[in-house]
Amino acid sequence: MLVSTLGVLMGLLALAIPVAATLALLALVLNYSYSFMPLHMAIGEIAWSTSTEFLLVAIPLFVLLGELLLRTGIAERMYRSMSYWLTWLPGGLMHCNVGASALFAATSGSSVATAATIGTLAEPQIKAQKYNERLFLGTLASGGTLGILIPPSINIIIYGALTDTSIPDLYMAGILPGLALAGLFMLTVLIACLLRRDWDGEKVSVSWSTRMNGLVDLLPPFFIFFVVIGSIYLGWATPTESAALGVIAALALAAGYKRLNVTMLKEAVEGAMRTTAMIMLIIIAAYFLNFVLSGIGLTSQLTEFITSLGLSSFETLLAVILFYVVLGFFMETLTLMITTVPIIAPLIIAQGYDPVWFGILLMLLIETALVTPPIGLNLYVVQGIRKGGPINDVIIGSIPFVIAMFVMIGFLIAFPDIAMYLPEAMRD
Amino acid sequence: MNGINMFDHLEQFGLRIARLGVWCGGAMMIVAAFIIGTEVVLRKLFLITLGGADEMANYALAISTVWALSFALLQRAHIRVDVIYAHLPKPVSALLDILSLVSLLIFAGTLSWYGVGVWQTSWDFGATANTPLATPLWIPQGLWVMGLIGFSFTVLLLLSRSLQALLGRDFDKINEIAGTITIDEELKEELEAVERAEKVHLKNTRDSKVEVA
Repeated sequence: MLVSTLGVLMGLLALAIPVAATLALLALVLNYSYSFMPLHMAIGEIAWSTSTEFLLVAIPLFVLLGELLLRTGIAERMYRSMSYWLTWLPGGLMHCNVGASALFAATSGSSVATAATIGTLAEPQIKAQKYNERLFLGTLASGGTLGILIPPSINIIIYGALTDTSIPDLYMAGILPGLALAGLFMLTVLIACLLRRDWDGEKVSVSWSTRMNGLVDLLPPFFIFFVVIGSIYLGWATPTESAALGVIAALALAAGYKRLNVTMLKEAVEGAMRTTAMIMLIIIAAYFLNFVLSGIGLTSQLTEFITSLGLSSFETLLAVILFYVVLGFFMETLTLMITTVPIIAPLIIAQGYDPVWFGILLMLLIETALVTPPIGLNLYVVQGIRKGGPINDVIIGSIPFVIAMFVMIGFLIAFPDIAMYLPEAMRD
Repeated sequence: MNGINMFDHLEQFGLRIARLGVWCGGAMMIVAAFIIGTEVVLRKLFLITLGGADEMANYALAISTVWALSFALLQRAHIRVDVIYAHLPKPVSALLDILSLVSLLIFAGTLSWYGVGVWQTSWDFGATANTPLATPLWIPQGLWVMGLIGFSFTVLLLLSRSLQALLGRDFDKINEIAGTITIDEELKEELEAVERAEKVHLKNTRDSKVEVA
């Protein structure tokens, strides 16, 4: 049963059947082959109850928040202002790429949006200021992945919904590892540019008055971050409520920058609803599949199988990490998460690991999946921004940062408090 | 030729309806954001609880999601894993496109069928939500089921059009209707949005400089 299930799943995915339809078909096939009860009749109820889950309302709201911010123009102001402060470092604008990605990630829930936004702003500077192209592209692709680790994060909401883990805890848990990872990325750039001076770009001298005047452009992203994450931290709002506040704040910002008009709203809404529909259809199918999987006893069969292997909890953890690294090469990350989390997370939690901590570890693993070929969405996003050149440039440029990600994964395993400190502080 | 025109007309018509559905759904979500936001502020600052904001937002999510499904389909936004697909000759990938639509049709059809069942039950028993608002459930569920059925029809429409193209061995057309969207196409839109924002910004800065001068 286990093998045939995996076979059907992989087979349908390989045939490029839409992920949502794959999950639903798999559920229908399993139900037909193994179930004594007509489980498929519950699909209507499951779909309705899933679509009316208040937590999931956060998904369209956060996607909409991102689409709105994209159109307010705060990103380029922020990038320019940050470049004034970081350009003197060895590695110059590459630090700015990481820093701006981290700050943008603090307002956006998506890695692709982060990479696309910062990438578009930064890419022209490679030639203009003569940076090493590969390393520069690597900072863009990897910096973008911070989008799902630093809250708000849509992937974290999906993880929380699938595993019944507190989203506020997860959000708080993502902040320090997110900052630490951004720090590691910058350190990577620093080391690389100290070793190879010619990888650095030309230095642009910036006066202190320009720097000071530019600071005001950093305020909007911080404003959004404090509205969204601050309201959660203070316990004023649930994640969905904070997303709603974020949308209102973004609309206010857009109005302030005189960008708010009907065309802009229509575009933002079309983009947001298209993404939402796509995500929600997969989630509905996944909930239905999970229902069937536990209905036919496959979930417990898998757990028994793993237990029978007699691995220690640490060995299980390493096996799971390996599993995600390998699948991360080949699978699109949203699909990877939704298909595996309902099965893997209970296994890990049963071994005594904290679900919040594992959520953050999973985000790091998904980040590596985003920049490892052949299927690494951020690689393609950054490649798409360039005008020509082989994608190998982006892939090779990202390797140092993938190493940094693994170092971070090691830190997180050795020092779980990096993730757990803030959520515990919030509860006190 | 008439047949082709009919399907293309239907597709254009479908896209218009789907777009309308997306705008309505999006408007619902923005309204929901304001209602939720108001409730948070009232609760925090004035200790007033209105109640019902979350319930309304839940219905908005369910309805706007299904109303956007057709639009997402017409824009080929549904995720497919194309590791192998991308390297196949056109006739084969065209067949997979059709297979994709068939599988979506099975999913959408099953969802619609049992979705109608959910609605029917609420209607027959006059079920109301277990909340202070006591919303008669057939209302939001009815709007929701309409979206599901609309989605099924959109899949059916695209499937018919693809089969017609298959008969004419027009594989490019099938790819255009149901193929996976390449990252380039997907990105283009997002990048255009950023560029537009940048342009407006540049224009504004120029304008303000002129003013200063």
